[in-house]
Amino acid sequence: MPRPHQNLITFSVDGREVQAPENMMLADAAKLGDVEIPVFCYEPKLGHPVGACRMCLVEIEGIPKLQTACSTAVKDGMVVHTQSERARVAQQAVVEFLLINHPLDCPVCDKGGECPLQDITFGWGGGKSRFIEPKRHFRKPLELSPLIAIDRERCILCYRCVRYSQEVAEDYQLVLLERGENTFVGTFDGHPYVAPFSGNIIELCPVGALTSRPYRFRARPWDIEGSGSLCTLCPAQCNVTFTVRDDRVLRVLARDHHEVDDGWLCDKGRFAYQAVHVDERITAPMIRDGGELRTVSWERALAEATSGLRRAGAKTAALAGGGATNEEGLLLGRLLRDVLGSPHLDSRSGGAVSLADWRALSDPALAATVSDLEFANAVLVLDCEPVDDAPILELRIRKGVRRNGVALLLASARPSALDPSATETLRFAPGRGAELAWALAAALQDGAVDAPAAAAGASAEEVRKLARALREAGEEIVILYGEQLLDGDAGGLLALADALGIAEIEGAGLIGIPEAANGRGLREAGVLPNGGPGFSAPPLGDGLDAAAIAAKLGDGELSALYLLGVDPLRSFPDAGAWEQALEHATTVIAHAAFLTPGVREHATVIFPAESSAEKEGTVTHPDGRVQRLRPAIGHPGDVRAEWRTLSELARLLGGAAGPATAAGVSAELFASVGLYNGLELEELAGHGVRWPARAPAVARSGEAAAKPKLRRAAQAKGGRLLLGSYRSIWAGPEVEASPALRFLAPRQRVELSPRDAAKLGVLHGEEVLVSDDQGELRATVVLRDSTPSGTAFLERDLARDGANRLRGPLVEVRTAPSGNGDVETLLGEEELTHA
Amino acid sequence: MSPAPSPSKGNWTPGDDQIAVQRAPEPGGAGGAYRAFGETLRGLKTTFARVVEGVNTIQYPEEKVAVYPRFRGRHKLHRFEESGLEKCVGCSLCAAACPADCIRVVAAENTPEMRVSAGERYAAVYEINLSRCIFCGYCEVACPFDAITMGHDYELSDYNRSDLIFTKEMLLAEPLEATPLRAQGE
Repeated sequence: MPRPHQNLITFSVDGREVQAPENMMLADAAKLGDVEIPVFCYEPKLGHPVGACRMCLVEIEGIPKLQTACSTAVKDGMVVHTQSERARVAQQAVVEFLLINHPLDCPVCDKGGECPLQDITFGWGGGKSRFIEPKRHFRKPLELSPLIAIDRERCILCYRCVRYSQEVAEDYQLVLLERGENTFVGTFDGHPYVAPFSGNIIELCPVGALTSRPYRFRARPWDIEGSGSLCTLCPAQCNVTFTVRDDRVLRVLARDHHEVDDGWLCDKGRFAYQAVHVDERITAPMIRDGGELRTVSWERALAEATSGLRRAGAKTAALAGGGATNEEGLLLGRLLRDVLGSPHLDSRSGGAVSLADWRALSDPALAATVSDLEFANAVLVLDCEPVDDAPILELRIRKGVRRNGVALLLASARPSALDPSATETLRFAPGRGAELAWALAAALQDGAVDAPAAAAGASAEEVRKLARALREAGEEIVILYGEQLLDGDAGGLLALADALGIAEIEGAGLIGIPEAANGRGLREAGVLPNGGPGFSAPPLGDGLDAAAIAAKLGDGELSALYLLGVDPLRSFPDAGAWEQALEHATTVIAHAAFLTPGVREHATVIFPAESSAEKEGTVTHPDGRVQRLRPAIGHPGDVRAEWRTLSELARLLGGAAGPATAAGVSAELFASVGLYNGLELEELAGHGVRWPARAPAVARSGEAAAKPKLRRAAQAKGGRLLLGSYRSIWAGPEVEASPALRFLAPRQRVELSPRDAAKLGVLHGEEVLVSDDQGELRATVVLRDSTPSGTAFLERDLARDGANRLRGPLVEVRTAPSGNGDVETLLGEEELTHA
Repeated sequence: MSPAPSPSKGNWTPGDDQIAVQRAPEPGGAGGAYRAFGETLRGLKTTFARVVEGVNTIQYPEEKVAVYPRFRGRHKLHRFEESGLEKCVGCSLCAAACPADCIRVVAAENTPEMRVSAGERYAAVYEINLSRCIFCGYCEVACPFDAITMGHDYELSDYNRSDLIFTKEMLLAEPLEATPLRAQGE
């Protein structure tokens, strides 16, 4: 559905002539004339108004009764009075009515001081209550979930949280129970409201009925300061406000940005701030001394790192990931290429993609914006799971489907949480996204589908059906793909984009979700084995990609490894090869905030890493928006800025001394990355700038269509299953370190189809061993109807037993011969896999 | 460089100003003697009149000045007499009202095992920086639970600024020595 066209009309509110888009709700339109109409239940982000609270009653000339401004569309020539005697009496009556059952416990209520009910009572209330009867009482406070406390006495039944759960997050968990004055908000059978986006109801609640448990009684609004920055825990890079008291982050709030997050946050972004202030965090540099890690001074650590890097010289490799900024990527590239003379650096775990393909993929003509997801004719989700890979985009897709009738087409290996919303779904073999893209492109051009579809492990008929649905949906098509699709080959994706004619169509485009939170920015800053800053040709020729780095470190051809915010043992595929690599490396320098296995066992020098609340720099959103990180708090302990460490190391190793300030490094970034030329730090403030919106489209030469490189998908046979893996939204050391979120930190679970489970003789919840010739791990069985039979899905990036310990493609699942062998119930499992 | 012509060009003539000079009377004579001693004696009359009233010095610190009941001295935090629970719930409204920004409150939640106050929350940290306090009494006005009042103590000197940051325990404790209060009508 194309974006709605808006006519401007003129109406009058309280005697002011105001211009507003036609059919805007009066409560919003009045704001354009600086007239505030009080509301409780109305929130445009929740979709259609319900008019439940009656707070927004206004008088409209020509309509005999008072109208609710939240659900009355504004028309040309309308004359509205919000302060007439009738309107005032009605407003005062509504406030008095809402306060009948509202307890007077503002001094102990966390909302006190930032409470719409307080503000509206003060501004529009009568100041007196005639109600002397006892108020209703509930037991208070209850845990709605481990993250949210509910105080039902304070609830004014505005329905916001219930509507959010039903219509935005679509987890359908919150409901209103009982009737009349006994009504309260809860879950159907009283189980905890655990969902990926549950925390948003805290911010939605206009009273203190829903409050954050981790923030409970921590501070009052006049004790705190808000500091706007970004969340860098996943590629969605939501805009947030850190609530700071006494130089500590106490809370994270959404900072509404329509083009990024639409004002929502996931629970990981909202609550993982606790990891900033935990004891486990590394806050001083360490070196390995006689096998043991020891805290040392910065001078000592830098000297150690310098001597290690000097010894290794060009035999150094580097990996960057996590929340590393563009500036850090640029400085890391310079340290490796210019100072040490090594071309081996990577920011991805998959196989290298050719530089020409990178340039083609970053073509502004192919770029889509996040809001295009909402207004496209169709969205094709290709080889990714939005709720895990970039959670906030899932809400955007649901919004498009629900409100604008976007056709959702899904092609993924693992069943998705979006399956019920999709018009068309297709399953293929794990890790064969590239082949599927070739198959789809062929089907759209009426080419030979059978070979690529077979390679992708999908049925040719289903591929044709999906292609038909794509063609019939309309021409504005947005493809949301996961970076695992780009494992060595981007040709299929580009062929698909060509077949759909995406480059020529306004509103159509590609959005790629990278693995690392700033994957796109690191790529563009030149942390690629075969690309320099801005996808320029690398000055030292092509280097090795991540997998080759592991192999060469294991062989002893490389001797030092520089890890910027990434632990390959935990998050890169093939842990066995990395174990070898780290074992053989003489120097391993890591910027890390937590002692993850690879860092704890193998790092020779550890520099304490900054958290996103301390970082300064820029990151790039998957849609090309360069956004600015601003420090909210000072560095705890001995932590130093990463860019400073990187330029200090370059200087100690005889390179050029870099800029002395973070702003100076940003200026160098904008000057040396061609795509970012002309950006300035000041204009990034607030909303960031999408560089593709400014850059001219790259005229792609009519290069001959690349030949499909097809790798044949393995088949499940002999009782062995095809291995697929995914990274859960709750994966990551930050979740494990946050006391409030720890209960969600995943343990290894193997997803099987009930049919395979019956064949193998394992039960839901049972402990099993999953093994291949590489290794073995323990997992709990989770049965999902929608899992394609013949496949088993494991989780990546876990504290232990991560899927990367197995190489696949076939694994064996058998009952664990354990002593206890008990069937455990999985915590919150139904809530997490609401599919 | 020629000076810019001034807007009011030299119309002023010094002869136009009248200067009146008043001179004191010539010294000497009876008038002179009165002027030298008369006024002094008039002042001394008050001095000698007070001599007969007796000594009026208060022997501070052995003896203290009694204060009026509404005197605003050092703050006190209060407990409920029956239950012994603190009245303060850590709402931080006093900190919000304080114009000198000298109150710091960090709240925490009561648990069944450790109940400190009557409400859901209590003040885990309650500090008043008395070196900054201006004794305006706004905190007392703001408090919804009458948990903080201005006491009568005024002996607040110390050797260290940091010793003037009063903690919750110090504010809850009874002062070692009660400040005398003026009786009604005194």
